[in-house]
Order: sequence, then C-alpha cells, then structure tokens
Amino acid sequence: MVCDMTMDATLAGHLQELRRGTVVVASLTVLREPGYGYSLLEMLSAAGFEVEANTLYPLLRRLESQGLLASEWNTDEARPRKFYRTTEQGEAIAETLRTEWTRLDRAITDLDTPGSPR
Amino acid sequence: MTSLVDRYVFTALRRVPEKQRADIDRELRASIEDAVDARVDAGEPRDAAVEATLLELGDPDRLADRYADRASYLIGPELFPAWRRLMTMLLSMVLPLVVIVLVVLRSLDAPSAGSVIGGMVSSVITVGVHIAFWVTAVFAVLERTGVTAGGLRGGPWSLKNLPRYEPRGLTVTQLGAAIVWPVLMITALVLQQFTFGDEPVLAPANWSFWWPYLIVVMALDALYAVWVYRLGTWTHTVTVVNAALALAFAVPVIWLASTDRFFNPAFFDFGAGADEALRWAGFGVVLTFAVFLVWDIAEVAVRAERLRRGLPLKVPGTGV
Repeated sequence: MVCDMTMDATLAGHLQELRRGTVVVASLTVLREPGYGYSLLEMLSAAGFEVEANTLYPLLRRLESQGLLASEWNTDEARPRKFYRTTEQGEAIAETLRTEWTRLDRAITDLDTPGSPR
Repeated sequence: MTSLVDRYVFTALRRVPEKQRADIDRELRASIEDAVDARVDAGEPRDAAVEATLLELGDPDRLADRYADRASYLIGPELFPAWRRLMTMLLSMVLPLVVIVLVVLRSLDAPSAGSVIGGMVSSVITVGVHIAFWVTAVFAVLERTGVTAGGLRGGPWSLKNLPRYEPRGLTVTQLGAAIVWPVLMITALVLQQFTFGDEPVLAPANWSFWWPYLIVVMALDALYAVWVYRLGTWTHTVTVVNAALALAFAVPVIWLASTDRFFNPAFFDFGAGADEALRWAGFGVVLTFAVFLVWDIAEVAVRAERLRRGLPLKVPGTGV
C-alpha cells in the first residue's frame, strides 16, 4: 500500500507533465491580441491555466527568441511595458499544436469509452 | 538604501547574460509593479503586497536559470550512461592497476608495512579523485558543447551495438586481456631486474634458466589464447593444453618459492624481520599460484565438459 503523501506527489508530477506544453499553446493563442507579461498571466489564470509568473516570463522571452512572438516596448503610459504579439510563424505553430491537442483529446476519449474500436 | 524589489531584481540579474540584463531589468520590474498594484487594489497594504509578489516569483537564482535557458545540471540524461560506464570501468580496472604499480614503485624505496599501506591509501584517494574529476570535467564540457550520445558512439544506436553473449569461445575483450596480461608480466619480470632500486626483487640466479623459461611459457599462454579464440569453443583438447600450460608455469614457481629460490634475499635485506618477510612472501607466492592452478584447470575443464554434454553455459554478468 503506497502512502497518501507519495501518491499526492506522484499525481502532482504527472499533472505537471501533462500541463507542461499547454501554456505555450495558450500563450500563442491569447497573444494574437498584443499583451504584456502580467496581463497574460491574469488572463491565463482566469481561463483556468495554472501557470506561475516565474515560468511564464522566461517562457515569453524564449518564444520570442524562437521567432514565435514579437515584442515592442510601449512607453506611452506611465509604466513602460513590453508587449508581445504572436507572429505568423507562431500562429502557424499554434494551429498545429491545437490540432494535435484535439486529436489527443479524441484519442483518449475513444480509449476511455468501453466498446469503442481500438 | 536598496528596496526589497531592487535586491530581488539585482540578485536575479547577476546570473543572467549581460546583454539581456537591461531588457529583463525593465520587464521584470514592470511585471512586479503590475502584480503589486493588483494586490494593493485588492486591499492589501503595499509592503505586504511587495513581499507576497516576490515570494510568489520565488528563488531569484532559479528565475535567472530560466531566463538564461541554461541547464541546471552538470551532465544530462543523454550523456550520463556513457559517463557512468566510463567511470565504472576506470575506477574498477584502471584505478587498481595504477595503485598497484605506484605502491610497488614506492615500497621499493622504503619497504615497510606502514609505508605500503599508507602509500596505498593515499594513491587510491589521489588517483581516484583525479580520475573522477577529469572524466566529469570532460563530460560537463561535452554536455555544454552539444555533443550527443550518438556523437560519442560515432552514429545513432543500432542493433549492431548490442554485445554478443556467446558462452562459447573467447570474447574479443577476453582475448585482449589474455594477450596483454602475459606481456605485462614479462615486462615486469624484465624491469624488476634493472629498474627498481639497486637490487632486483626476484632471485637473479634464475636468469640462467627459470626466468627465461617462464617468459617462454607466458608467450605460449598468449598463443594459446589466440588459438582458443579462433577455435571458438571449449574441447577436451583445450582442457589438456590449458592444464599443461598452467602446470608448466605454476609448478616451477611454487617449487622455487617453497625452496627459497624465488625472491632475491639481498632485496629483503633491510635488517630486523627480513627473514620473516622473505618467508611470508614465499608463502604468499606458493598459496597464490596453487589457488590459481587449481581454479584455472578446473574452470576450463568444467566448461569443456558442460559443452560436451550439451548443458547450457552461463552468460557472465546476466544471471542467465
């Protein structure tokens, strides 16, 4: 019998692994409308994505260096903010990732449905 | 006085590549202020809001690692198996060899039990630390220069990389060992006469016949290994040849050692207890070679007999 604490840690590990890639898809999708770090963080948590600031901010810079996001400093307001926007390339990749997500969802639902063809 | 936010941002920036610093500085501060404002708007006092925001961002060193997108490990999973294989091999085979050579060389200068044991301990530590450090350092550099396991192997893994587990015959490694070992022994036998200290370790009188004879037998041992390798199986002929060679080597050595003609008494001439040491050394040689003789003859004979009866042979190291 595995004790509950180990089980919780196991679950947490698997959940983290399952969610790892979703933040990328979500960010690329949301940032079709330009947004800055904190606004995106708020939007994602409101939409139900469990993402931490210390993961999201470095991720945005990485996606930018990969050419999937473009950035621009907006100094019109009192607080200068770095706005990110999804590039064409980023949109294309996001589209592929969303298709893959749908396919996986369907595949898992099929497996979970008894009597369905395998 | 620097504020809490300054201290946090400075700490994170210290470990970020220099050309990214200015940009990350501005962006990180803006993000922190946004989060603090949101908390203040929700009714928290400003100081508490700053603390909560920074706590949520967590360890600035980890944040810096994520910004710099750098590996927070020395050797990754890709190269770790190769590292472990090499370390195991070096520490289990090369380390003992080097330590034995060093201890022999050192104990020839001042032979006493204390200096031999002390020399052994210090060589194990020194050589072991050197091996571990340099292998790890090289692998850490390889990890950071983008070398993959396939690159080390000289191509992607394929079925050809699977070792052969033939219980019959000798493997290439065994053949190599069976050739290198006599060569090392012959070299040691010749070197001890001229190189180590003033007096040879072994009785020089035996150069008239017994030492050259043993050199010939050891050369025959190497030839025997080549023959068994090409034969690819264990037969009763192999048993007989192996037993003849083992007897031809061990019997004279045991006879010489038990009649005090193996070691050079002048080499052991270091005052009190020298006779005692000489006797124990002789006894050690007799015992070692007697065990070796029995084990070697029996091992090959058992293999050949099992093969003749069609019984399966064990594959070493697999438990099968």
